[in-house]
Amino acid sequence: MSERLRESLSAVLDGEANELELERVLSRMEEDRELRQTWVRYSAVHSVNTGGHVANLSLDISQRVRAALHDEVDSYPLNKSAGVARRLLKPFASFAVAASVAATVVIGGQQLYQIGEPDTYGNTLAGASPVGLINSVGATAIQASYGTQSVPVLRPTVTTAYRELARQRMEKYMQEHVEQAALNSPQGLIPFTRVQQIQE
Amino acid sequence: MVLKPYFPPGKLYFSVLVVALVFCTARAGAAACPEVNPEALKWLDKMSRSAHEVSYQGVVTFQRGDDMQVMQISHSVEGTAATESLTQLTGQGAQVVRVEHPLECVHPGHLLLRLGSELQSSADSSASVDECGISGHYRFSVTEGERVAGRKAVRIIVAPRDMYRYGYVMELDKHTGLLLKTRTIGRGDKVLEYFQFANLSYGKEGGQAAEVDLVHRATHSTIVDHQEDASAERYFSGDWTVRWLPGGFTATDSSKGGVRRRTYTDGLAVFSVFLEILPRDIQPGEGVVRRGGTTSYTRGLRMGDNPVLVTVIGEVPVNTARMVADSIAWVQ
Repeated sequence: MSERLRESLSAVLDGEANELELERVLSRMEEDRELRQTWVRYSAVHSVNTGGHVANLSLDISQRVRAALHDEVDSYPLNKSAGVARRLLKPFASFAVAASVAATVVIGGQQLYQIGEPDTYGNTLAGASPVGLINSVGATAIQASYGTQSVPVLRPTVTTAYRELARQRMEKYMQEHVEQAALNSPQGLIPFTRVQQIQE
Repeated sequence: MVLKPYFPPGKLYFSVLVVALVFCTARAGAAACPEVNPEALKWLDKMSRSAHEVSYQGVVTFQRGDDMQVMQISHSVEGTAATESLTQLTGQGAQVVRVEHPLECVHPGHLLLRLGSELQSSADSSASVDECGISGHYRFSVTEGERVAGRKAVRIIVAPRDMYRYGYVMELDKHTGLLLKTRTIGRGDKVLEYFQFANLSYGKEGGQAAEVDLVHRATHSTIVDHQEDASAERYFSGDWTVRWLPGGFTATDSSKGGVRRRTYTDGLAVFSVFLEILPRDIQPGEGVVRRGGTTSYTRGLRMGDNPVLVTVIGEVPVNTARMVADSIAWVQ
């Protein structure tokens, strides 16, 4: 795998690829075995995460991978036209921001509830989340409505809640991680500066 | 749901001892590993030793995005032990101290940096990348460096050989080998974060003390202390393992059954895996947050009969964290 291709694949895996990078990966998918295997592993993880099952990993699924990638590519122009639409509708932008912030707040609350209580409906115990997730998504979104240009994106429900969970876990575990990093990387104690609130 | 028939078996993680053994065995061989830069490996070795054995103090800045933190660093060697401290001059104002860290106590990350130079000309031709040490996973080049904190530096450009780790541009003091500046380089040559000395002096400490609000005593144990989280965390009846690691990563401490954290290093990058057993099911899913060079990846899944939350935190790309999290399994 070339350096450039590796970077493109990395971008695709991180969900940050632009059309050019997607295209690059796509065009090499057929002949590059390493690329294909990495992609297979990734899509297997993705499949498990989204509740699907993984079958026949030994099969060469490059065709299916390509099809899936094409679907991804197909969805990209939407973003582009959305950008154009946003420019055309600029006078309405502030209204749109307000509306989507409201939507984000509502959905944020629902997501956290879902992560906390996936299999019950009547049960509304506050703070009963098995992962100890603190609902700060709503607060964050409301802040974003003041003085910023960004329009909150409505993501599939669980995604935002998991993102918040990743943030909270980063805070919780960072000191324990840097304790090890400080001993095993050449920067000495400097990794401690990554910890938001150092505990005694 | 944990399915993993496709990960290559074996070569997952080793204890320090095993790594040392592998390295020592490889030394008996003849031919060299490909593209080894002996000059760079000598510098890495010197860098690791000076970080331990030299007395110095100075002010360091750490920048990621718009955020800059400033801290005072002190490292003083007395006899066979080093005492070091980090005092935050911005932000929280906390202090981290590590007292009397024996010089002979060389942790796996530094061992990897030092072994590189011993290995460079000796691994045999059938050697796998792991037997080439750090050269198997990074490509090094040495050039003239810039001036950092008034010191002339030599620059080591560290490019990853695979997509599982970041690159670095490191500036080392030309005379002492001390690491003066590091830029962490992500995809597309983007600088994710950097730190550098703003001023530096060698010799014993004499500087003025900053006002400190909190002091944390850093550990240097190589054995995981199970007591520290005894109250809050659930205990595991079984042991768990990480079945896939990027090449060259080795465990930083010898953890036994029942731990909730495992940490791995390749000498330059470090990441930790945390496992929580949840009392109830959660919706499966994943989430990522990145801050500078640090990734926090969290994933909820079922592992055997248990709903669990796996979190990978470290200075590695998201896809590395994701693949590590995916490979976690109970030891049968």
